[in-house]
Amino acid sequence: MLTFKNVSKSFGKIQALEDISFEVDEGEFVFITGPSGAGKTTLLKLILRQLLPDKGEIILEEKNITNIKKRDIPHLRQQIGVVFQDFKVLYERTLKENVEIALAVINFPRKEWDARVEHVLQLVDLHERDNLFPSQLSGGELQRLSLARALVVNPKIILADEPTGNLDWETADKIMDLFEKINDEGKTIIMATHHKLIIDKMKKRVIELKDGKIKEDIVVKKPRSKKTQDE
Amino acid sequence: MNIHLKTAGDHIRRAPFQALAAFFVLTITFFVVTTLSILVYSSGQALRFFETRPQIIAFLKDEVTPENISGLQNKLQEDVRVRKTVYVSKEEALEIYKKATADNPLLSELVSPAIFPASIEVQLADLSYAQELIEDLKKQEVVDSVGFTANLGGEDTLSQAVNKLRTVTWYIRVGGGVFAAVQVTTSLLVLMVIIGMRMTTRRGEIEILELIGATSSFIRRPVVLEATIYAVGGVFAGWFLSFVLILYATPSLISYFGDIPILPKDTLQLTYLFGIILAAEIVAGLLLAVIGSLLAVSRAKS
Repeated sequence: MLTFKNVSKSFGKIQALEDISFEVDEGEFVFITGPSGAGKTTLLKLILRQLLPDKGEIILEEKNITNIKKRDIPHLRQQIGVVFQDFKVLYERTLKENVEIALAVINFPRKEWDARVEHVLQLVDLHERDNLFPSQLSGGELQRLSLARALVVNPKIILADEPTGNLDWETADKIMDLFEKINDEGKTIIMATHHKLIIDKMKKRVIELKDGKIKEDIVVKKPRSKKTQDE
Repeated sequence: MNIHLKTAGDHIRRAPFQALAAFFVLTITFFVVTTLSILVYSSGQALRFFETRPQIIAFLKDEVTPENISGLQNKLQEDVRVRKTVYVSKEEALEIYKKATADNPLLSELVSPAIFPASIEVQLADLSYAQELIEDLKKQEVVDSVGFTANLGGEDTLSQAVNKLRTVTWYIRVGGGVFAAVQVTTSLLVLMVIIGMRMTTRRGEIEILELIGATSSFIRRPVVLEATIYAVGGVFAGWFLSFVLILYATPSLISYFGDIPILPKDTLQLTYLFGIILAAEIVAGLLLAVIGSLLAVSRAKS
């Protein structure tokens, strides 16, 4: 579903990513981990076409997204659900409107909005708070709202950048349960995190970055097996 | 409600003073534009009234034959100094006299067509030819005497009056045009400043929308709609104020200017004139809104 082929990206003299290659299959749950500055967020930004690689190719659904035109970037992003550490919700709109706006962006038929919104808000357990404003919610609820907005457009892939970074352990655990549930339904998830406890608990594939390179690509099964980058 | 319209409405509600500033500036602009349009129309009408009325009247001798008359008329028609000629028979002259003295029937009761001379009314291509043509007409055998538009006096007075009117009309058109252009530019700048401020306060929202795949037109739409609300609101308010003012002043203006049709005397025609102005202003307002908001958006995005 997603392929990185020898992707490199630098910012001036800083090499953020160097010759990165990996593949993600449909329905996979992949953690991108590593210390701060390892290149996790850069990698996600490349998939979202917020950045362009200096070298290499990124193939999403058989389409090289590194050479799509600027006017096609919104269309690419409409196929990707994004969840951010700082939630990035619209504070002047209600929960329901926050989710609806994602449907408006993809030009989804207006008469089907209510059913879709109701469904995802139920999934993230916010359906009884749909008329509240984000300022009236806790951090965990905001992250669930962010996830609902990502899910409502039925994306091919969900990118999550440190989604538990601003949450306490208990809330983070609940959010991760939600991600797992969504993954079980067949959604591909790529999550950047350095939350070791979560990674260990989830037992999913882990791509560890260090200084812009892949240090390890571990497919965690029970028991753990190791897949090197050369494979 | 449409999501973009709701967004535009929310922006207006959240910053009511900015919205009011934009609305008032546009109202003043379109009030001035409407009033100036009427002024331009009226001055044009007045000028046309004086320019198209006969300026020289050649009174014909009683013994002239129809052949003589048509001979003179044909000669005048071929003259480049002449725009138009009209033959007025003795009977028609009597009718004109009767009409002019309608408020005093005694004056017309005792007169017969015989005492009125037939005449040829001449409209000049340019008033500077008047003196020359009068002299030429005086030399014609069939012409008894030559007169000028009575209520304007001699050819000098007539020429001065029309020239003065032309100058006034020119000043109204050019001066009014410049003034209206300044007003429209001010409105455009105010719209751009307000929309620019809106874009700055929405920077975070725009970033989020771009990340979830919003196209540029999706982001621009509420902004353009907001500017359109100000512009259309300003057009209607400005136009309505001017309409009420002119409607109120019309009876006095019409009675002051008498025969000069500076404004349509029929209310329906006046409304029609204002309708045309409103339609043109709506188009101008929409253009102003679209141009202003798109410029502001592109500036904010760059």
